[in-house]
Amino acid sequence: MFDGLILLGQGIAHFLTPAGLFNVAWATLLGLAIGILPGLTATMGVALLVTLTYKMAPDQAILTLMCVYLGAIYGGSRTAILLNIPGTPANAAATLDGHPLAMQGKAGLAMGLATTSSTLGTLVGIFFLAIIAPMLAEAALKFGSYEFFWLALFGVVISGQMTGSDTPLKGYIAGILGLLVAMVGMETLHAYQRFTFGIPALGGGVDLIPAMVGAFGLAEILSTMKRTAMPKIAAVNDRVIPTLREIFQYWKTIIRSGIIGTFVGIIPGVGEDVGAWSSYAAAKKRSKHPEEFGKGSQEGLIAAETGDNAVVSAAMIPTLTLALPGSAAAAVLIAAMMIHGIRPGPMLMIENAPFLYQVVAMLLLATLANLIFGLSLTKVFIKVLSVPRERLMAVIYVLCVVGSFAITQRMFDVYVMLFFGIVGFILREMKYPMAPLVLGIVLGDLLDLNLRRGLALTNGDPTPFFTRPISAVICLIIVLTILMSIPAVNRRVRALFTRNRGGVEAQG
Amino acid sequence: MSADASPIRPADDNDPARIRADLITALVLVALGLAVTYFSWTMDRLEVRRIHPSTIPGLVPLILGIALTLCGSLLAFRSARLDAKAGGAALIRILVSWQAVRVLTVLGLALIYTLGFVGRMPFWLASALFIFAFITLFETVLADRPGSLPRTLIWALIVALGAGLGVHYIFGQIFLVRLP
Repeated sequence: MFDGLILLGQGIAHFLTPAGLFNVAWATLLGLAIGILPGLTATMGVALLVTLTYKMAPDQAILTLMCVYLGAIYGGSRTAILLNIPGTPANAAATLDGHPLAMQGKAGLAMGLATTSSTLGTLVGIFFLAIIAPMLAEAALKFGSYEFFWLALFGVVISGQMTGSDTPLKGYIAGILGLLVAMVGMETLHAYQRFTFGIPALGGGVDLIPAMVGAFGLAEILSTMKRTAMPKIAAVNDRVIPTLREIFQYWKTIIRSGIIGTFVGIIPGVGEDVGAWSSYAAAKKRSKHPEEFGKGSQEGLIAAETGDNAVVSAAMIPTLTLALPGSAAAAVLIAAMMIHGIRPGPMLMIENAPFLYQVVAMLLLATLANLIFGLSLTKVFIKVLSVPRERLMAVIYVLCVVGSFAITQRMFDVYVMLFFGIVGFILREMKYPMAPLVLGIVLGDLLDLNLRRGLALTNGDPTPFFTRPISAVICLIIVLTILMSIPAVNRRVRALFTRNRGGVEAQG
Repeated sequence: MSADASPIRPADDNDPARIRADLITALVLVALGLAVTYFSWTMDRLEVRRIHPSTIPGLVPLILGIALTLCGSLLAFRSARLDAKAGGAALIRILVSWQAVRVLTVLGLALIYTLGFVGRMPFWLASALFIFAFITLFETVLADRPGSLPRTLIWALIVALGAGLGVHYIFGQIFLVRLP
C-alpha cells in the first residue's frame, strides 16, 4: 500500500521538471484542439503524434501521447456543446444535453460542467487504475498460454458485442477481419510466411500504426468531407466556472458514472463512447428528473462526460497489465510503448514497476492541465472551432502520409495507410465498428501463438483450455456473450428474468 | 435485434439502402471467408519439419475463415429477411449523390498525391500542390456557397506553402523525422 504511494509520489515528481511540464502543456493544448476540431479523433491524434515523439525519451513520449489522448477526449465536449456534433465519438452522448443547454444561453455553464466532470471522471478512473492494476498484474503472472488465448478471444468478442451499432454480427465480423489482418506475414511459432502472395513487404506483416492512421485518419477525413454544410457555433455569454454546488449536487451521478466508465474501460476494446452512453443511460434511469434528459439536463451532461473520461484512465488497466488495449487509442499507445522499448503485460510490474505509477502521474498532470486550460481558454477554443475543415483536412492528410511513412521509412506503409483508409471508410459507412478491427490486429498474434503453443504443450490435447479454472471461466463468459447476442436466446433470457420478477412482485 | 444489441445507443437499422448494402457486403464477406478457408486448408503443413499437426500455420486462419463465412452468411440471411423495399434504388441514389462526388474527389486527390506526386518531387512541393488543389476545389466548385475566387486562391496558397514548408522544417529539421 505504502510502496504504491511512494512510487506514485516518485512518479509525479519525475515529471515535475521544466521539460515535463512543457510537454504536458503543449500536448494537452494540441489534444484539446484535436478533440475540438470535428473530424479529428483522439485515436487519430495519438497515432499521428507517435511519429513526432519517436526521438523523445520513452517516459516523455508516453506522457505526450497520454496528454493528447486525454485532451482530445475532453476537448470533444466543446464541439458537442457549441456545435451539436461530437468532437470525438466519445462525446456523442454529451450533445444530447450539452447543446440544448447552449441553446438556452447556458453554453458557458455547460462547458464548465463538462470540464469539471471530465476531471472528476478521470480522477475516479485513476483511483481504480492505481488500485486494480497492481493486483491484476500479480494475478496475470499465473496466466499461461491457455488463459492468454481465451483473453485475446474474449477481447475481440466482447468488443464486437458491445460496439456493434445495429447488430453484434458486424462487431464480430470487424473483429474477425482484424484477426485475419494479423495473420498476414511471418508467424512466430514456425517462422512460416502466411498470405504474403510473394510480396516481400508483406513478410513482416501489417504494422499497426499505418493501419490506424488510415482507419482513423484518412477514413475520418473522407467522412468529414462528405458532409456538405456545417452547423453554426452557439454563442457563449455566461460564466464558464461553475459553483461547487452546481457540481456536487450530482455527486451520486459523478461516482456512479465514474465507476461505470471504469468498468467499461477495463473491458478490452470497448472505448469511451460506450462509457459515456452507459453512464448517461444509468443516470437517466436513476434521475429524479428523467424528463429533462435530452432537453438540457445538467445531470445528463455530467454523466456523459464523467463516464467517457473515466474510461481513458481505466483503459490503462488491461493495457498495462495484460497488454490488451482497453480502447482503440490504447492500442496505439501499446504500439508506441513497444517502439520505445516498454513492454506492457504481466511482467511490467516486475520489470518496470515505477512505469505504472508514472502513467498514473501522467494522467493526473494531463487532467489538471485540461482543467486549467478548459476553464481559462474558452475564447481561444471557439476560434479553433471556426477553422474551415476544407483547409484543415488537406493538411491532416499530409500528416497521415508523414505519420505512416516515418516509423519504418517504407512507402509500403503509406500504401497500407491508404488501403486501411478506404476500407475503414467503407466499413464505417456500413456501420461496422472500428474498435474490434483494431483489437483483432493487436491481439491476432497473441491469440494464434497461444492457441498453438498450448496445443503443442499438450501434444494436441485441448483439454486444459477448458479445465484450468481461469480458462474455464473466460471460456464460459465468451460462450454466454455469443449466446446473448443471438436475438432468440436474448429474448428468452430477458423474458425469464422479467417473468420471475413479475412473479415475485405478484407474491409480494 | 438492434434494441437488444445496444439498448443505450440510438440506432437506425431500418434504412432500406443500408439493408441492401449489408446484403451485398455480406456476400463479399462470404466469398472472402471461403477464399481464406481454401488458402488456409491448402497452406503448407510443414510435414517435412515434423511439427505437431495441431500447430500447423493454417490452423487459426482456417478457423477464422470458417467464422467469417458463418458470420457473413448470417448477415446475408438477416438482410435478406428484413424488408428492403426500394433498397436498391435508395442505394444507387446514395452512390451517385453529391456526397459521393465529394468523397471521390478527396480520394482522387489523395491517390494522385500519394501514388503520383510523393517520391517524384520534393515532399514539401508535392504536399503544397495537394493542399492547394484540395482547398481550391472544395471552396469553389464543390462548395455550397462558394466564396470569391481570388480570396480562395490566396488562402489556398498561404495554407499550401505554410503547411508544406512547415512540415518540411518541423518534422524534417526539428524532430529529425525522415520524410517520404
